Amino acid sequence: MNNKKQRGYVSLPGIGDLALSGLRPLIGILLGLIAGAGLIALSGVNPLSAYVAMLKGAFGSPQAFANVLVRASPLLIGGVGVAIGIKAGLWNVGIEGYMYAGAIGAGMVGIAALPVAPIVHIILSFLAAIAFAVVWGLGPAYMKAYRGVNEVVATIMMNYVAIFFTSWMVHEPQPMAEPGSFFPMSRMIAPTAKLPILMKGTSLHPGFIIGLIACVVLYFVLRYTPFGFRTRMLGVNPVGSRYAGVNVRQQMLFVLLIGALMGGVSGAVEILGLKQRVYMDFVAGVGYESVAVALLAGGNPLGVIASALFFSALKAGGATMSIQTGVGGPMTVVIEALCVIFVIGVGYSERKRLERLDVAEKEDKEVEYDVA
Amino acid sequence: MSPDIIIDWLQASLRWGAPLILVAIGEVYSERSGVINMGIEGIMLFGALAGIAISFFTGNVLLATIGTMILGALFGLAVAFLTVSRKTNQVVTGLMVNLMALGGTNLLFALLSESRHVRVERYPLLFPESFSNIPILGPVLFRQPVSTWVALILPFIAAYILYRTDWGLNVRAVGENPQAAATAGLPVIKLKYQAVILSGLFAALGGCVLTLAEVGYFASGGMTAGRGFVVLAAVVVGGWDPLKTALVCLVFGAADAAQLRMQTAGSVIPYQFLQMLPYLITVIALAGVVGRSRPPKTWGAPYDPADI
Amino acid sequence: MTQNIEIAMRMEGITKRFPGVLANDRISLDCRKGEVLGLLGENGAGKTTLMNILYGLHQPDSGKIFIEGKEVKIESPAKAIELGIGMVHQHFKLVDTLTALENVILGIPSEHPMVLDLAPARKRFLSLCEEYDLYVDPTVETWRLSVGKQQWLEILKALYRDARLLVLDEPTAVLTPSEGEQLFKAIRKLTKEGRSVIFISHKFGEVLEITDRITVIRDGHVVGTVPTKEATYPELARMMVGRPVSMDRKPRPSATKIDPVLVMENVQANNDRGLPALKNINLTVKAGEIVGVAGVDGNGQLELAECIVGLRKRTGGSIRIQGHDVDRVMADPSFVGYIPADRQKVGLFLTLTVAENLVVKDYAKPPFTRRGVLRYQAIRQHANRLIKEYNIRTPSSEVQVVHLSGGNQQKVVVAREMSAQPPLVIASQATRGLDLGAVESVHNFLLKERNRGAAVLFISTELQEVMSLSDRIIVMFRGEIMGEMDGEAADINVIGQMMLGQVTEVVA
Repeated sequence: MNNKKQRGYVSLPGIGDLALSGLRPLIGILLGLIAGAGLIALSGVNPLSAYVAMLKGAFGSPQAFANVLVRASPLLIGGVGVAIGIKAGLWNVGIEGYMYAGAIGAGMVGIAALPVAPIVHIILSFLAAIAFAVVWGLGPAYMKAYRGVNEVVATIMMNYVAIFFTSWMVHEPQPMAEPGSFFPMSRMIAPTAKLPILMKGTSLHPGFIIGLIACVVLYFVLRYTPFGFRTRMLGVNPVGSRYAGVNVRQQMLFVLLIGALMGGVSGAVEILGLKQRVYMDFVAGVGYESVAVALLAGGNPLGVIASALFFSALKAGGATMSIQTGVGGPMTVVIEALCVIFVIGVGYSERKRLERLDVAEKEDKEVEYDVA
Repeated sequence: MSPDIIIDWLQASLRWGAPLILVAIGEVYSERSGVINMGIEGIMLFGALAGIAISFFTGNVLLATIGTMILGALFGLAVAFLTVSRKTNQVVTGLMVNLMALGGTNLLFALLSESRHVRVERYPLLFPESFSNIPILGPVLFRQPVSTWVALILPFIAAYILYRTDWGLNVRAVGENPQAAATAGLPVIKLKYQAVILSGLFAALGGCVLTLAEVGYFASGGMTAGRGFVVLAAVVVGGWDPLKTALVCLVFGAADAAQLRMQTAGSVIPYQFLQMLPYLITVIALAGVVGRSRPPKTWGAPYDPADI
Repeated sequence: MTQNIEIAMRMEGITKRFPGVLANDRISLDCRKGEVLGLLGENGAGKTTLMNILYGLHQPDSGKIFIEGKEVKIESPAKAIELGIGMVHQHFKLVDTLTALENVILGIPSEHPMVLDLAPARKRFLSLCEEYDLYVDPTVETWRLSVGKQQWLEILKALYRDARLLVLDEPTAVLTPSEGEQLFKAIRKLTKEGRSVIFISHKFGEVLEITDRITVIRDGHVVGTVPTKEATYPELARMMVGRPVSMDRKPRPSATKIDPVLVMENVQANNDRGLPALKNINLTVKAGEIVGVAGVDGNGQLELAECIVGLRKRTGGSIRIQGHDVDRVMADPSFVGYIPADRQKVGLFLTLTVAENLVVKDYAKPPFTRRGVLRYQAIRQHANRLIKEYNIRTPSSEVQVVHLSGGNQQKVVVAREMSAQPPLVIASQATRGLDLGAVESVHNFLLKERNRGAAVLFISTELQEVMSLSDRIIVMFRGEIMGEMDGEAADINVIGQMMLGQVTEVVA
């Protein structure tokens, strides 16, 4: 590395050294599961029986798999929101906050008894969720794009602000709050705003379909639209993007806002499909798990589908494991983190290896300029 | 506002600032060596739990502190192995350590359920009670646990080490230009490991102080509440200087203390908005220094000895 | 001095292989006590790799190294320093934010590690400055030093560690002619004291001037070693390149058009640190001429280029390209073609494909985008045409550019920037790091652009090529244009003075 390159500012590392390929993610996941097995063994449970319980809990019955899909919904939507940020070299870890904002928006419209058809009520609730989340996201997005504030710290700080804001919204005398409840929470959403149940005896709602569509659409956007092309350019080389005429700040703003939008939808799906009330802490780390989902997918929207399903199977199965073997439920979160750490730690990062090859080839003699 | 409230607030500011300062000291070294340890939030959380647990089982705060610091150093070692040796992305590594800590502490705390909400032995005051009777200074400065004093003195020692010793010079060189440092014969990797391990050690200590000096119990569900990230911001705002960073930490501590006081004082502003205050101040402070605060040149970038 | 020649350092059969390339192939050479050994070779011939092995930065795959007769294993720079080897890299290894003195003592364990006492070090440092007539202020932060002073500092750093064998890698690349003289004086003093110097260069003139013997390296192996007294320019050139080369002034037809293409008026801009880098630049480049920008690196040339292509904000003044404000036509490939110094940073998107890299300025226009959707077929066709036209060696248009060799990466940039035949061409350090053959073809290429009627701004720190290529030459010093002269009539001494900031009459 020469002195020139080091001059000026070094921004946070982007997608560059996250580029994954081949078997590496699978090996990493396997190692993560093995490490998890070690921890389970430490807590005095046979890891094999724990994992069998987990598998049964996730895939043992149609009902169990429905549960997996329910849990996958927010991870799919939030995960793809983080993923598009990663493709642009941005760490949008504010999903937790956007989910609260979206939930409040969806809740406000959803609680109201509107004289409209359910589909209209649902759409209006989603629109409100999107509006709230995007407005919420404007703050950190502007700070990053136009003021150069580190987006990791800014978005995480805003997550805490969102939690307290939600707490205020569901406390009396705010109009959303359920009057006289011991635990502060919002009123129940109207039956017309509730997402339909797809399978009797489960909570399966169409959230996962929304998630799958979001992943496919964003994959298409990234690959086949000028906007997506600019996003990828930004992620690979911000300086070069500016030189090639990309409005880098505006692009950053839009990409972060797409993440916010997704977070809002994710929050709305949780409220309208599952929880039916807004309350403090209802997200409970799903926003951070969305980040893990996107990281495991290497920022690829289609990869998000696989990693979100994997994580939700882990979580759904984890509940069963907890009941049957006594291993604590939070163990699944630990395993998730371990999987990502092993995935990024297993291989020498691809990009670096390629650069090495490139350095070596610079000594290659076939440099010439015979231009036709 | 009566003077009592102000004195009480100043005293609390120091106490709330202390853990932040301790965490920040380690992070300054780590970032000066070029490695952003974003996992300090999680290591703090582990430290908070470990402090309570060891103190509960042994009844000895010194043992609890030392044990916690060793645990923190081990976490630092793990982060160093990943980011320095495996060259993993520092942001991802940190975020995953945090996620693991959130799950891990919840899990362990459930196992140690006997100690749930049991208050434990806390840090003693450094000065005899009688000192507290001195007007103003007494309650503010002397009715403080040992940990506050450590946190107030440590930044000076840290600054001395960073600017006035061989090791400090070496760490500064490594973060600015590791190739140059290597060419001058310095063991770059070793120095980075040392700095990152320090950040883990101090992060755990900060978490331990949070519980053993302040609250006296552990609460599951991420009781450090983003303080690790506040510290990350403080280091940037403080320009990677131990003294300035400590000062910024005190300001953040004061904001924390202020919102708690205002909550109890029955302010017209809803308390949730007061709770938001420290986080908002952090973001605004960051926005204020952007462009003026210059990070170490290889901040956040992996070092590859094969690049010359 | 017949039989008892003392050998300071000997390398035997050094072989070093990197993935895909044999950098050093059984290289053997020796350096005598008190001599200057020239190591001559083109960029990429393997000189630097060899010296990095000597300095412990790389480990050889095979071969032996002897220092003063004893076989040694140099596993780290620390060991090399201990053996009395000092090295000044082409890209300086200084920590910018440390002071000059701190850089000098970096890595030397002090007597009391807990008390960094700089006083004795300062005394020793200043006496070295005086002894070798290379003065550097010890208290100043290194980034404030001029490039020449940084070079002195690197040499003083090695001498402070009592280097008996000093390796200088392309030391004159960053020096003004008079600083070069000062360096040569210091080198002669060093050898008189019995120290040895290995002088790496690809410039014949200076190698012939300063060295005692010359070892020529080509393609990773030693072509031969000759005593300087017996060496001749053509012979060295033949050894180094394998064929005769000329670096004389390029013949050219006289310019036919005279319309101004680039007009800069009172342009001011800051550098990355927010300090003024361009002060009131007034410059016009006309169609069909090459304007060369000479000057020591870091005197505003980079900022000049970045302002013109719209990468850097001006703090004042105006820039017009064919009458259009630069902010309007930025990134429009039909106005400016930019061949940047740091192609990987500015010009390329390493993990995008060759095809994608070739459309990063036009992807949103038809035929590449129709009805809001990218048409990869059109993008591929465009790529295949340019790959053929510019002879880019790549397995396909769908390969990521990171997999291409440096020269082919450069061609991707050139193909993209030049395919629209822009009226203005900015070449910033375009030949840096290329070997002689490639340099020659860059020169021919720019000349062809000129003859087609393009206005060419050619920025280089290599005086030789500026003089051989330019129709007009301007010299930059501390963000100002010190003077302008006709390319035909330019005098190297005048330019040298201007590079130092002196505009006064020159002693003939």
